[in-house]
Amino acid sequence: MAKRGFGKSTTVSTRDEVKFMRALMRCIVESRQDPKQVHQFFQSNLEKLDESLLEALPLVFIKLTTNELPKTRQNIARLFAAFGNLIQQLSFGNRLLNLELGIAAYNLALQVRTREDFPEQWAITQNNLGIAYSDRILGERATNLEQAIAAYNLALQVYTREDFPEQWAGTQNNLGNAYSARILGERATNLEQAIAAYNLALQVYTREDFPEQWAVTQNNLGNAYSARILGERATNLEQAIAAYNLALQVYTREDFPEQWAVTQHNLANAYRDRIQGERISNLEQAITNYEQASQVFTQDVFPQKWAENQGHLAEALTKRALLTSTSADLDTAIALLKAALNVSVSGSPDFIDSQYRLGNALSHRYEHNKDPNDLEQALRAYKTALDLMSPEHYDRKKIWQALPTTQSILGMRLVRDGQWQEGLQLLLNSVTQLSTGDDPLAHANALFQTGRAHEVLSNWDNARIYYRDALRLYEHLSDLQGIAKSRAGLGGVLVSQGHLEKGMTELAVSREIYHQLKQPDQVTEVDSLYQAAQRAIERQTAEVFV
Amino acid sequence: MTYADDIFDQSFSNIKHLGLREIPFTESPTDLQNETLKRIFTGREKELRQVFNLFQSRERRRILVYGRIGIGKSAFLLEVLSVLRRKRPKMLTTYISLPSELDLATTALIALAQEMSEDEWAQRQLYQMGIPTAKVLKERSSEISANAVVGAKTGEKDLPVTKPQYPTVSLDILLERAQQKYPQGVVIAIDDLDKQNPSRVRQLMHDAQGMLKGRAWFLLTGHPTGMTGDLLTSERGLFDLQLKLEELDLPTTYQMLINYLSSARINNDCTDPENPRCVLPFLPETAERFCRASLGKPRLFNRLGNIVLSKAADLQAERITPDILEQALKDAKPELTQQAALDVQEERVRVLLQQRGSLSDETISMADLEQLGFRSFSEILPFLERLEEADLAYQLNQDDAKAFAPIPLPPANDASSPENI
Repeated sequence: MAKRGFGKSTTVSTRDEVKFMRALMRCIVESRQDPKQVHQFFQSNLEKLDESLLEALPLVFIKLTTNELPKTRQNIARLFAAFGNLIQQLSFGNRLLNLELGIAAYNLALQVRTREDFPEQWAITQNNLGIAYSDRILGERATNLEQAIAAYNLALQVYTREDFPEQWAGTQNNLGNAYSARILGERATNLEQAIAAYNLALQVYTREDFPEQWAVTQNNLGNAYSARILGERATNLEQAIAAYNLALQVYTREDFPEQWAVTQHNLANAYRDRIQGERISNLEQAITNYEQASQVFTQDVFPQKWAENQGHLAEALTKRALLTSTSADLDTAIALLKAALNVSVSGSPDFIDSQYRLGNALSHRYEHNKDPNDLEQALRAYKTALDLMSPEHYDRKKIWQALPTTQSILGMRLVRDGQWQEGLQLLLNSVTQLSTGDDPLAHANALFQTGRAHEVLSNWDNARIYYRDALRLYEHLSDLQGIAKSRAGLGGVLVSQGHLEKGMTELAVSREIYHQLKQPDQVTEVDSLYQAAQRAIERQTAEVFV
Repeated sequence: MTYADDIFDQSFSNIKHLGLREIPFTESPTDLQNETLKRIFTGREKELRQVFNLFQSRERRRILVYGRIGIGKSAFLLEVLSVLRRKRPKMLTTYISLPSELDLATTALIALAQEMSEDEWAQRQLYQMGIPTAKVLKERSSEISANAVVGAKTGEKDLPVTKPQYPTVSLDILLERAQQKYPQGVVIAIDDLDKQNPSRVRQLMHDAQGMLKGRAWFLLTGHPTGMTGDLLTSERGLFDLQLKLEELDLPTTYQMLINYLSSARINNDCTDPENPRCVLPFLPETAERFCRASLGKPRLFNRLGNIVLSKAADLQAERITPDILEQALKDAKPELTQQAALDVQEERVRVLLQQRGSLSDETISMADLEQLGFRSFSEILPFLERLEEADLAYQLNQDDAKAFAPIPLPPANDASSPENI
């Protein structure tokens, strides 16, 4: 006989949960699924949407369906599916938990709504399950998206174009979204799959018959073309712009303010990156579109979207600043990013992007104002971004490379300002970091900067070593500009050390390359060093004769 | 008598066979007694003159002795100090090897306090830092043996210490007390300046400017590897004399061999280079060959000397004939390699250096660098310097490039030597 009175009971008391679900189902039935009323119900029972409900849900389902007539079982399944739908669209409460409840509810509903007995309901529940998995927060994002794709594909086994054209189109659109976001597999192929799915959806979702769905799919298609890897980037961006503009024919500010703002934002992104047309007018257009979006995405009403839109606007402003060589745009961009960072959730993709953009804007502004504070802040921003992002993040590489590059610029600056200890340390750090990276050009630049720093400090021996290191790498990369500047540096050092002829040989080569590169200022600069060395030789020879 | 006792006697008798009481070579001059150092220290007349000229003035001076690793900086420093001790009895001389993680002021404070054993305040300073209060020099154990471990100098074993809160102030107070007792002044010699990483040494020097310009004479040594070489240019105003020690020339090396041997020879202490008996158990030709092989580098000279005499003793020879010397030099490379305990990367650099004959920042190719898994010479420089430290490579005297070559020793016969792996 089993011992009694020890340990915890394994059966969970589900009385409260059963009661709650019954009340909820009553509400759903009575309100005829009117979201407003159901939302009110959820609102007043928010504290019940918790982990114990999630835990109890399967038991509640068993309790409600065991020994019931098939009709009742079907009703319970229908209500669970409806619960799933409602809760995953809820805009309040704990989003993570809401989605888990949704997924659990769909899976329970599917126990009754089998493919054999209720193919249509099975398909719609699979589709909804797919949506929930697409949005899921818990678990690996990559795996969740695979689950979503699997669910959509199951739905499509029943939702054929012939029998359920509208549902087929809807699921194709959802499948397109999942492929757009997919992490596993080749990104290029995934995007092609997405584009194919959207185009299928558009065969049914025509502007005439389904204007709203047509617009949403056009917007999604625009996103996929913006991100597309295969094909010409310039053409892809044109396609994206065209698609967004189509979407905006339906998504007017008056009728669909939120969707209008989203599409304005997306259109702005495409213009910001556009290759065809005048670069400056594309950027102007992008800035206008972002500003349009920000009329709807205000900080009060849509804080997250506001922050995201601001971040992108800042990037466009930074790009314009580079074209116009003015710093006013950079000041605005930096202010926007700092404001956006106050709102973004630390560690979110937006937050990381904004840090990276802030790093960029600050290091560009440094080029104007030469204020080392900007560089230091840039460095901090890059570091924050890197610390927060997972090592496999595909943006990590570009930030990771921006960091040591900024380090070497800041290092050089500090050396010039007399803080040689800190400066050289930064430079050496950046050299070390870049030496293991896969950007030999950035490595060469850092080596060159280190050489310069040593030269500034009159550390001739080390300056020479680093210039030669930079030179060797630039030559390996056939980078003429780099070859010219490192030979000039090396020549200067050799001359300073009294190795006049050897130094002049380097200077002459450098002068010749600058000549080829049509850089008269550099030619003059190197030449004056050469002439000085020449005079020194003449003096030496004269002294010998005396 | 035990079996081991027999072996000991045999071993002693083998050395005696060579006409010597002991093997006189040692890598670490701090292990030597003053009297021995006096007998074996050779050459450097010009440099000694430069230093002693400064000591004829009342002005306190700062002297930096620098040169490649193993060039004899410590020996030079100790020789200067021992002369001062004899000639200036009312001058206090102190010596310390710079401990890692310590600033110069604390280091100087320790060195000075250790020499002032009668000064209670000084001893209390040491006590507070957790340092035994007896004189360090008295604690030194002799480490002269054929297989002496490299770099086992005194000074390190007393650490870690709790640094005083205001080392510069404490030092200044102590110096004031010392000067009352030693009216001819105080000399603080700090050896091995760049045992610490180069950028830290820069900072140390920077921070110590006030102290260095204070009440004492300072003698510092460092070898110009890595970035520290440039210390000379960046801190140029700090020193009254920057003394570079170079390799000894052949006649000086030859004389040094004579001095070493005569310090250990039984019943024969001749020191005349013209007299062949003075290089016994070497023959004049093998003595010269030996001196050439040591490249005028005192530490390599001592390491090779140890290997050669041990080999000759093993063979129970009376004289070091050309054959014996060749055999010993062939043994030297694997022995030095073994002593160096190189890691994989250092070994790869060593093999490449051996294959290429020399490597320099000017001539090394991208392909060679990539073969080693690097993209820049500055990355492999530390490995080359490590090889230099282990006497497996040496730096060529080239002003416009940093060039290294393997120590030219005959290749080993043994098929299992690391070269053939």
